[in-house]
Amino acid sequence: MELTEREYRALEDIIGAEYISKDLAIRDTYNQVWGNKLVFGEKWSPRPVAVLLPGNTEEVQAIVKVCNRYGIQFKPFSSGFEITAIGLVSEKGIMLDLKRMDRILEIDVKNMHAVVEPYVSVHRLQLEVAKYGLYYGAVAAGPSAGVIASSCCHAGSGQTNVFAGAIERNVLGAEWVLPTGEIIKLGTAASGDGWFSADGPGLSLRGVLRGHCGANGGHGVITKASVKLYPWYGPSELERSGEIPALRAVKKVPDQYKVFVISFPTQDNGFDALAEIGKAEIAYSDYQIPLPPGGSLCEGNDEMWENMQKLDPAAAKVFATMVVVILGANSSREMEYREKYLLKIIEKFGGILLPPLNDPMVHAGMFDASMFSFGSVRHVFRLTSDFFINPCADGSEGLCKNLHKAAKEVMGPYWSNGTILQVGSAIFHPVYENYTVGSHHEDMYMYDPYDPDSLEGTRELIGKTVDPNGKFRRLCVPCLGGGLQFEPVNHIHETWGPIYDNYDAWQRQIKAALDPNNVADWGCYIPPVYP
Amino acid sequence: MTEEKKLKEIVGAGNLSHDQAILGEYSEDLSFVPKVRPRYVVKPGNVEQVQKIVEWANETLTPLVPVSSGPPHFRGDTVPNVGGAVIIDLSRMKKILRIDSFNRLAMVEPGVTFAELQSELAKAGLYAYMPLCPRSSKSVIGSMLEREPITMPAHHWDCTDPMLCAEIVFGTGDKLRGGEAAGPDTIEEQWKMGKAQMAPMGLGQFNEHRLISGAQGTIGIVTWSTLKCRFLSKMNRTFLVPSEHIEPLIDLSYKLLRIRLGDHLFLLNGLNLACLLAKTSGRIEELRAILPPWVLIVSFEGYGELPEDKVHYQEADLMDMAQSCQIEPKTTLAGASADELSVILSRPSEEPYWKLRLKGGCNDIFFLTTLDKIPKFVSAISLLMCTHRYPVENMGVYIQPVVQGTSCHCEFNLYHEPARQNELDNIRWMVNEGSRDLAKQGGFFSRPYGAWADFAYTGASEAVAMQRKMKKIFDPKGILNPGKLCL
Amino acid sequence: MSLETYKHDMLRCTRCSYCKWIPFENFRKSEFIKGCPSVAKYHWHAYSAGGKFNMALSFLEGRIPYSEPFLNAVYKCQMDGSCDVSCKSVQDIEPLQLMQELRMRCVEDGQVIPAHTPMIDCLRKEDNMMQRLKADRGKWAKSLDVKDLTKEKAEVYFHAGCKYSFDEGLGHVARDGLTLLREAGVDVGIMGRAEMCCGGRAYELGYGGELMKFASRQKKALEKAGVKTIVTPCSHCYQTMKVLYDKVGQKLGMEVLHITEYLDRLISGGKIKLRKPVPLTVTYHDPCHLGRLAEPWVHWNGKETKVLGQMIVHDPPKKFRRGAYGVYDVPRNILNSLPKLKFVEMYRIRASAWCCGSGGGVKEAYPEFAIWTATDRIKEAKSIGAEAIVSACPWCTQNFRDTIKETGEKLKVFDVIELVQKSI
Repeated sequence: MELTEREYRALEDIIGAEYISKDLAIRDTYNQVWGNKLVFGEKWSPRPVAVLLPGNTEEVQAIVKVCNRYGIQFKPFSSGFEITAIGLVSEKGIMLDLKRMDRILEIDVKNMHAVVEPYVSVHRLQLEVAKYGLYYGAVAAGPSAGVIASSCCHAGSGQTNVFAGAIERNVLGAEWVLPTGEIIKLGTAASGDGWFSADGPGLSLRGVLRGHCGANGGHGVITKASVKLYPWYGPSELERSGEIPALRAVKKVPDQYKVFVISFPTQDNGFDALAEIGKAEIAYSDYQIPLPPGGSLCEGNDEMWENMQKLDPAAAKVFATMVVVILGANSSREMEYREKYLLKIIEKFGGILLPPLNDPMVHAGMFDASMFSFGSVRHVFRLTSDFFINPCADGSEGLCKNLHKAAKEVMGPYWSNGTILQVGSAIFHPVYENYTVGSHHEDMYMYDPYDPDSLEGTRELIGKTVDPNGKFRRLCVPCLGGGLQFEPVNHIHETWGPIYDNYDAWQRQIKAALDPNNVADWGCYIPPVYP
Repeated sequence: MTEEKKLKEIVGAGNLSHDQAILGEYSEDLSFVPKVRPRYVVKPGNVEQVQKIVEWANETLTPLVPVSSGPPHFRGDTVPNVGGAVIIDLSRMKKILRIDSFNRLAMVEPGVTFAELQSELAKAGLYAYMPLCPRSSKSVIGSMLEREPITMPAHHWDCTDPMLCAEIVFGTGDKLRGGEAAGPDTIEEQWKMGKAQMAPMGLGQFNEHRLISGAQGTIGIVTWSTLKCRFLSKMNRTFLVPSEHIEPLIDLSYKLLRIRLGDHLFLLNGLNLACLLAKTSGRIEELRAILPPWVLIVSFEGYGELPEDKVHYQEADLMDMAQSCQIEPKTTLAGASADELSVILSRPSEEPYWKLRLKGGCNDIFFLTTLDKIPKFVSAISLLMCTHRYPVENMGVYIQPVVQGTSCHCEFNLYHEPARQNELDNIRWMVNEGSRDLAKQGGFFSRPYGAWADFAYTGASEAVAMQRKMKKIFDPKGILNPGKLCL
Repeated sequence: MSLETYKHDMLRCTRCSYCKWIPFENFRKSEFIKGCPSVAKYHWHAYSAGGKFNMALSFLEGRIPYSEPFLNAVYKCQMDGSCDVSCKSVQDIEPLQLMQELRMRCVEDGQVIPAHTPMIDCLRKEDNMMQRLKADRGKWAKSLDVKDLTKEKAEVYFHAGCKYSFDEGLGHVARDGLTLLREAGVDVGIMGRAEMCCGGRAYELGYGGELMKFASRQKKALEKAGVKTIVTPCSHCYQTMKVLYDKVGQKLGMEVLHITEYLDRLISGGKIKLRKPVPLTVTYHDPCHLGRLAEPWVHWNGKETKVLGQMIVHDPPKKFRRGAYGVYDVPRNILNSLPKLKFVEMYRIRASAWCCGSGGGVKEAYPEFAIWTATDRIKEAKSIGAEAIVSACPWCTQNFRDTIKETGEKLKVFDVIELVQKSI
């Protein structure tokens, strides 16, 4: 399908010829992203009919109004690094590439928040606020993840959840172009007196903005957001060394931080210890990471494989439960207390600090990986080309343990038959907010979408995990707007909603209320009515 | 079947009242909302009864006004806005359903008060976060739903804290258990499995918990909720930092908040501190005369595995900071003992409720702002008071940093003698109209009770539109507390 | 090699968009974190390396034809390789090689840029890309008493390169460079009029045949001249003769050095004494062709295989060129040896250097884009308090000077040779 001349002109009149394209070559660079082969059966998802590069909120609003007039679907995105960003359900969909909206509008140092536009990445914001002794939490998707994408539109869990919160917990304001073209500002953003609270007056419309996951563009375009910042104890600039970026790390962990890489005898010990460390209220980062054997991704797969082959097989076993804890402290007394407490907990749960994993170089790498999420893209994509997550959840340790158990049972045969790769423990498990709102848990695995056996095996595995009558039925709704949920293909809301308190019925009504003409692409949100 | 009979069938005859005296108690409160008498008061005992009441209300188009706390009420949200309403008083649902030491949380029904909860939590070595000395009849769930600020900002990650997951009956009569609580199993089955109804981040791509927060019962009725608790303090050290002016204490607050130092952390003016410490009007007057104009209260709670170590280092760090800022944290002031205050802060208010001790009456004006703007608001309200001949010395001030210091709750307590009409008229003006002035100066009335709803939504017409859309979804017949907020 | 060779990489591009930035591990100041000038200016994803992977795959699969936007995305690119370094910090795929193949396919199919045609025509007729007569080549060395390698023997061949040979404004730098070598006692000669283009810039435009032709001719001429070492002051020639000739199977049998490498040896060996002060605060701009693109070529002939079920490795192991082994320290050593010179680093340096804007045929076909790119670099230099920006490539130097002239910025531009000359 193509836009009519009239429709194209209407959009071009808003944005200028330079920033709109219906050329096939341009359009086919907006529908190729990892995961497509799995979900769409080929490298391409539906091709947009045009791509636009709006420069400001007013242009976004005007574009949305045109979409309503002509029945064109739109999908906004920033980094565009997932199907939830650029997967279209519609044959007549336009992409809104928000790359030009890249300003950091305000940093309120005293009141610890920053107001940003959609194309501001997490690491760019981290760099900027470090000058003021502030920090924005790491997002596991990597340093290129959008601040707005992770806090408002998608998922957003990360390595520093324990200290710096995550997902929907850090939003203090938002400007939102609704699918009708109206603009709403949440909370104090509407009053012009500072973007410090997104809740109220009265009921909090943050509850419409997102839940466990965001709407992935399915209910409009978030054009600005205010996010909470946290104390940063490091210097305003970190010195790094190493010529090859993959091997580059801070020269030294800053003085007010300490890194610990702890091995626990059993997985359950590890989970319990993570929670206990959270409850101790001492950690800046507290998570289990799927460390590869050898503890190093090296510069490339061949180098990594060479390294792995030199590793003592017995050592590989201890990697099953590798926990990274980073303590940050404002004073030496505070550090002393925190370290003392941590060592107590380590002892209590039978943890050990293996010397090879606790040397300064490893700590430097872990610091970067934890604080800034360097290496996450390398880890999940380079090894086999692609990765997927078993149903991930945010919840109590009890839930997470059950989830892990179910995941292992389901994945087991696929590890054994080589369909998927397991490197290390493949668990990503950070604790939230001093373990006061639970933990995040994912069992990741890696597969090759261009290896027919791997692809088929992965599809079969996913089929088991998203089966509402399968092992995960009682645990959590898979994906839930995150991961590779694409409703027209995997029907998560439709099949799981009725089991989970009919949440989908409410969500559909919200969609219908906000988007009467159904112009915001619903593929990674929900349709008003299931097709 | 008559409506009364139907309701009695649902809740039991003994749990429905149309006694005029009882209805009178629900028809007004200590706020200035108009008096409106309800038709009945019903007291359900479980969620099934609540659902049936809501279904009945839909059939009969009867407004329902949910109430969970006991009197006295101050905000007007529990007084019907329209005639013909039925009060759905949840105070009979008083179970503490679970105390979970590992996950540091409790699950309670709406009728559970802080006093009841704290005593049970203490047995498990836990403690519930509280607002500042809540009244003894205050419902824990009521407080959380209202987004009342807790006194420990470092523990306050998000404005809905400490609330976690809730079981909600929406205005349609449908029930939803939010966040981690949803699923095919009963709550008990979930417990057996290790689930704890802990993660509140929204079940799907919307967050049901946020939609009911600050909603004054217009979206749904909560029949249980989990809440986060902390370890019970084994010891603590509390400090009072006096100042002639508020500005140095604001600066100190920012410093403490930045490094997350301190558990209790808030500011009071001398009058409010006196009201907390003393129980009689006379004694309050004596105290306020000798207390400093402003006091910052900061405490270090000792809990966990190394309670003494925690308190010790935090105290030492505070002293280092104090030296560099040239302030002096004290454990006693003339008339005030930090230890005494610490005990007072650890429990709900003893009778009489601390806000009623000075003059018998109190009305609050509160809103959100940022700490740096507090001096401006203190001046502004003082000016308003002067122009309306309200004695500024009868005003309490309570500044509570919230959400880890990214903003603060600014509260002015207007003490008065309820029997004195002209005083009451002044107060009414201040609360209903004077606060409008504060809103114009940037005070964010995020909890728009009574007349505040008239101006709280100024400049937020889109928020109004969206809230009304949500109302149409979750309460299409508009039976839940109609007329509140902008609904 | 062909476009199809890179289908594996096209399929495996995840759209992480790291190619748009310098590696995240190298971020220092948020105003200077972009890596790819093309996507920074034109915004469309097609302009990034990831976008080229997408376009190439769609093209191979017959989903898209050539079009003006397609060609704009291909040619509005300096081929500077920043994307390659960033991509390979997280992946084992080859964006720059793919982009090279894509250009070559475009040229094969006649999809060329009109502005490039006269340069190629001149190259074919006059052995240079500068649209000048071959007969005029060598005039830059007029009256220099230096060996003519067409007639005499010398250990070292000084290859000026087309830019230095024909650009009257820059020729003195080549003269100075040669003079430095001679006065240090180096047995050096030139080809004069017989010097020919290295073929590197043509290759970058997509004219693979021209590279092969000139590589072969060059190799023969140099073998005949019997030189042991080639020294060039032009980074592009350096990269071509050292790396590209090897890539296309025409590896020269003699040592190829950039003049900074040779000067560094002479300075360390005491043959050049830097005496006079150069009281200037300078920053060094890493030319792409001396830095990340100058990493030695790695030949690999093997196959992809899998271990642990699905982990992709190679048999034999494949060493990817990730930009680490270019020439970065040598020019810095030289600058730091100059008395009274204060050296300050920019934020995007070494393998993460921002391009000067000149390469890939951009200077000729899209001069405003070349200026735009250089403007950002000059801004970066000024932001760290530099009075001068120093490079080691005439293309960089020229583009900086053109930009300063156009924008009115106050920043001096030097080649390393010029500063060494000042200090003798």
